[in-house]
Order: sequence, then C-alpha cells, then structure tokens
Amino acid sequence: MSRSDDPSYRMAVGVLGWFGMAFLVFPVLLTIVVSFGGSVFIEFPPQSFSLKWYANIAEVQQIGRAVLISLGVALATAAIATVMAIPAALAITRHDFPGRGTLVAFLVSPVTVPMVAIGIAVSQFFVWIGGGTGWFALLVGHTVLVSAYPVRTLVASLSLSNPSLEEAAASLGATRWVAFRTVVLPQLMPGLVSGFLFAFLISFDNYPISIFLVKGGLTTMPIEIFNYISQNLDPTPAAFSTIYVLIVSAVIVLAERRFGIVSLSVKG
Amino acid sequence: MNATAAPAGQRAAPSWRRIGRYLPILCLLAPLLAFMAIFYGAPMVLLAEESLRNSPTDEVKRPEPTAYHYARTFESARTFRALTRTFRLSAIATVIALVVCFPIALLLIRAGPRLRTGLLLVIFVSLAASLLVRNYGWLVVLADQGPVNRLLIAIGVFAQPERLVYSEGAIVVALVHYMMPFVILPIYGALLRIPPSFGEASQSLGGSSWTTFVRIVWPLALPGVFGGTILAFAIGTSAFVTPLMLGAPQTAMISQVAAEQFLVQQNFPWGSAIVVVLTVATLIIVALYGAVLRKVFRVAV
Repeated sequence: MSRSDDPSYRMAVGVLGWFGMAFLVFPVLLTIVVSFGGSVFIEFPPQSFSLKWYANIAEVQQIGRAVLISLGVALATAAIATVMAIPAALAITRHDFPGRGTLVAFLVSPVTVPMVAIGIAVSQFFVWIGGGTGWFALLVGHTVLVSAYPVRTLVASLSLSNPSLEEAAASLGATRWVAFRTVVLPQLMPGLVSGFLFAFLISFDNYPISIFLVKGGLTTMPIEIFNYISQNLDPTPAAFSTIYVLIVSAVIVLAERRFGIVSLSVKG
Repeated sequence: MNATAAPAGQRAAPSWRRIGRYLPILCLLAPLLAFMAIFYGAPMVLLAEESLRNSPTDEVKRPEPTAYHYARTFESARTFRALTRTFRLSAIATVIALVVCFPIALLLIRAGPRLRTGLLLVIFVSLAASLLVRNYGWLVVLADQGPVNRLLIAIGVFAQPERLVYSEGAIVVALVHYMMPFVILPIYGALLRIPPSFGEASQSLGGSSWTTFVRIVWPLALPGVFGGTILAFAIGTSAFVTPLMLGAPQTAMISQVAAEQFLVQQNFPWGSAIVVVLTVATLIIVALYGAVLRKVFRVAV
C-alpha cells in the first residue's frame, strides 16, 4: 500500500504516529533526565548534575529488602504459573473437548477482573479458611493474577507449531518423554519465555493485590516505592525508575534476539 | 460407526469410552484448573456471598441475605460519584487512546523491518516497565516545576505554575499512557492480516489513500480496534494505582473506595458489594459493546 500513497496521507500517518510514540516515551525519558538532577525537588530542566539519588537508593534500606522479596515472589510466581500452564496449554491446543471455550474464558478472565477484586477475594478467602497469610497468600494471589499470561503465550506458540512432528517422532520410536523434550519443548520455547517473562514482570510490579496480602513485616518493591513517593519529593524514585527501565529494556531486547517474543505476541 | 443403529444394550459403553478418552485431557488440565477453582473461583463466590451479609459495623441487623449494601452503593453520594467517575474517565481515556494509537499501528505497518522491530521493542518496554515508574513519570512531567508548566508559562498560557497533578485530567493522561500498548498491539495485529493486494486493488481502481483507509483499512482493522478498546476500558475501570498516585481524594475511583472499605473502614460486606457491582458492570458494558459492534459494523468479534 505504501508505494504510491498520497503525500497528505503519508504526512498524516507520519506526524500522528511519531507524535504518539513521543507521548509514549516522553515520561520515561524525562524521568531519566530528572534522575541526574542535583536539586532535592523534581526540577526540569535540572540546574545541576548529581549522582546522589543513585547512591540514595542503597541508603534507603526498605527498598533493598523489598526488591529482594519481590524478586523471590515474582520468580516463584512465574515458575508456578508457567509449570501449570504447560500441560493446560497442551490440552487446550491438542485436544477437543466439550466446554473448551468456557474453560479458556475462565482461565484468562483474571486479566479483565479488577485487580482489587482479586486481592480482596484472595485475602478474604485466607481469612475464611484461617491462616495462610504472608508468603503463601502473596504467592497464591500473584499466581492467580499472572497465570493467564503463560496460558495465552503457550497456546499461541503451540497453535503455530506442527503436531505431526510429534507423531513423526513417535513413529520413529521416540518415547513420549523424549518426543516431548526434543520436539515439543523447542517449539514451546518462545511461548515459555515470553509467558514466564510477563508473569514475572506483572508479579514484580503488582501493587493492588499485594496491598491486601502483605502482613507482619512482609513488604514488596511497589509498596515501598509507593510509600517513598508519597512521603518524599526528592528524585530517588527517578533514579530507581531509570535502573528498572534499563534492566527491563536489556531483558526484552535479549528475549527478542533469542526467542522472538515480540513477533509471537503480535501474532498471538 | 453408525450410532443410530447401535442396540439399546450398548448405550452405556460409549460414555465409559468417553471418560477414557477425556481422562488424559483432564489430567493435563488438573493442576491449573484445580488451582484456579480453589484460589480464584471459590474466593470470588465467597466475595459475592459476603456482600449479602450484615457488617459488624451496621447498627441495624437485617435478615440475611440482604441487598442493603448494594442499595447503599448507589445511594451513597460519594460511592456513586466514584462509580460514575470510573466509567466516565475510562471511556474518555479509551477514546483518546484509540485516537493516539491507531496512527502508531499504521506507522508500524508502513515501517521497514528494522524500524518496525525497534518501535515494537519500545512499545514492549513500556508495557513491561513498572506502572509505578510510568505514573511517577507523569508526576514529573506535570509537576509544578515540570516541563509542561514551564512550557505553558513560556508561551503565555499560565502566568505562574498551576497545579496539574492530583486532578481528573492527570488521571486520564496517565490512563491513556497505561492503555497504549494494549491498544496498539491488537490493531497492529489486525492490520498485519490485511492482504497488501487489497490496498493495491483499491488504488488501481482510482481510490486515494484516504478512500482506501476509510473503505478498506478501517473496516478490516475493527476486530483489532474492538480487542484493544475492550482491554483499555477494562484497564480503566479497574484502575487503582493510577488514581491513587495522580488523583486526589475528591477524584477517587471505585477501586479506591472498595479498598478503603477493606483496609480502613473494615466494612467487608460493603466493600464486597462495591467490587461485585464494579465487576458485573464492567462485564455487562463489555458484552453490550461487543453486541453493538457486531450489529452495527457486522464485525466478527
């Protein structure tokens, strides 16, 4: 279509499209600039240059501890959700059974249900059955929230793969396990990686569910960062944001290079 | 082979065979299904049940089940305003997000492979970057000494810095930003599926690019538009962190009011009723929207 486009159309798409992209990156770029400012208040453009807000991240002890807790919770959550999603995705894509559509709708519904509802429901549930607070409740709440993502990405990558390859492996004498490991698993990799990655990131960043489930000294990164932002005006959160965005960018670029997660998510 | 010809005595056999056939599928589904039934299905049902009970904070004890907390949700001025505000701001932000994102999807489809991957990576990073980080970015952008205030003073719109944050406007801007990747990707996906020959055919018949857009690109992109706007609207109605960070008490959205009932007022039945109203209202609006789109635009969504 683009070869002989009207100049006015090409102009409109270019200007509006790039304006939209600018809107998308603007707050993040600005945060990066502000993180190097010397003033104790957020200031743009910064009048002086300083790295002290980066040093300050290490000074604020709750943040370090909360980041470690969130890393643990997010890793465990993503692992549990992904492991449960593999057989479920195989059942959904490779077999036909009554009620499949309803089942899929149920499994992916946590994405559209308000997060606060999930947080409240899970915390009430643990009150009702008694006990189960702290780590366990946090893991359960997060797993409920994120499990839809690996299901979706695994279903997407399985739908693109070819089941007859498995049959070929079986007819060549491979056992089920060998066929799974050597034929199915490599085809699953993009879905596995992007499902795990999104489950991890969504858990790591969650505030609305965690706020109902953290009890007795347990805290998470978003809760501590949120508290810091509401109690302090200095640019320490900007420094933290900069590091966060750099790490996430590196991970996403690597995952795209190795596994092509971007193209998978667009097709799926 | 011929099911109708099977003798009556063998009727029971197929059902056993069917169980045998579905057993491996059930085993594959069991871990996730059991987990979700116990820790998601059951808690949601319990939440709905809780909403029909008396609260220890109620002075009058009513016979259970009671719809009192539902009535209260609509009668309390603050709660009802938060509810309507939630749906109003979500609808506004969804429309703005669509207007901002459609050109981005068009830009993606027209870009060369390298630029396209680069832009997609940027969109993915903003999808993956923490919501707190992105909302904090808007706190910076809209700050009293921030760039927007500086610019508006420089061009003479404001005489002095104005408070831009902690308002409905700030919430809408941040919501639009939050929604963007969820709107861009489905529309881009729909555009990818349009065969290039359609556009070429339109042009060879003398249609301008604008005509091609109106007659071909937009109608064929509608399933993506539908998918993206549904997600965006759901993001808006369940927004919690964004209004908490960029809004004020007088711009509270419904999730905040529900959370307050649990965390501050300790009125669990009322909080549960608010959550049920929000969830059901969202699902109904989404279903109605889909029905209207199917009827009016004849889109298969």
